[in-house]
Amino acid sequence: MIDALIDIASLICLCLGGFFFLVGAIGLNRMPDLFSRMHAVSAGDTAGFGLMVAGMCLQAGLTLATVKLIFILAVALFGGAVGAHALARAALHDGQRPLLANGDGAPVATDPRDLFPGLKARLDQPSDSGAANAPASDPEREVKPSNS
Amino acid sequence: MTLETVMWIPPIAAVLAALALAVVRALAGPTAFDRLLAANAIGNGAILMLALFGFLTGRPEFLDIGIAYALLNAIGLLAVLKFFRYGALGCAGRVEDKGAGRDD
Repeated sequence: MIDALIDIASLICLCLGGFFFLVGAIGLNRMPDLFSRMHAVSAGDTAGFGLMVAGMCLQAGLTLATVKLIFILAVALFGGAVGAHALARAALHDGQRPLLANGDGAPVATDPRDLFPGLKARLDQPSDSGAANAPASDPEREVKPSNS
Repeated sequence: MTLETVMWIPPIAAVLAALALAVVRALAGPTAFDRLLAANAIGNGAILMLALFGFLTGRPEFLDIGIAYALLNAIGLLAVLKFFRYGALGCAGRVEDKGAGRDD
C-alpha cells in the first residue's frame, strides 16, 4: 500500500519534471533573443531537475543514492545560477543587448506586438467572428444575472 | 513490464526530446552564447539521463558519473565563458582591471 503510494508520487514527480524540462527546451528554441532564451531554459531546467530528483529520491528511499542525488541537485543548482550570471554578463560585455533595450542597455518602451512577426498582423486584422458574436452574446449575459 | 519499468519511460522520453531540441538550438544558435546556453542545457539533460538510466536498469552507480558530469558542466561553462571574454584562460589580473568599474 505504502509502496504503491510512493510509486505513484514519484511517477507524478517524474512526469511533471519531464514536462517542465521539455517546456524549457521548447522555450530555448522559440524565444526571440538570448536573454529570454536564458530565462526560459534556466526556469525550466531548475523546475525539471528538482522535480525529477525528488521523484528519484522517493524511488530510492533512504539510501546512498538519495545522498548522491541531492548532491547532484545542489551542484546543478549552484552551478546553473553562477553559469547563467556569467553567461549574461559575458554576453552584455560582448555587445549583445536585450531586445527591449537601447544601446546603453536601458530598457525602452516597446509595443510587444513588434517582437513577434505575425502576431501583429494577427492582432490587427479585423476579427469578423468576434465582432459578429459580441452583440449577440451581450443580451444573454444581461439576462443571466437577472435570473439568478 | 511492471510499473517499476514503465514509470521511467515518460521522463526518459521527455528528456530525450528536450535534448534533441537543445541540439537544434546549439546547431542553429546565431551567437556563441546561444550555443553555450544550449550546451549547458544538454549537460543538464545528460545528467538527468544518466540518473534515470541508472534507476531504469537498477544500477545506481551511474549517479557517480552524474556527479562528475555536473561538476564538469559548471566548470566547463565558466572556463569557456572566460575564454570568450578575455581571449585567454591564464591572465586574470591585468586584463580584468581594465574593465573594472564599468558596470557592463
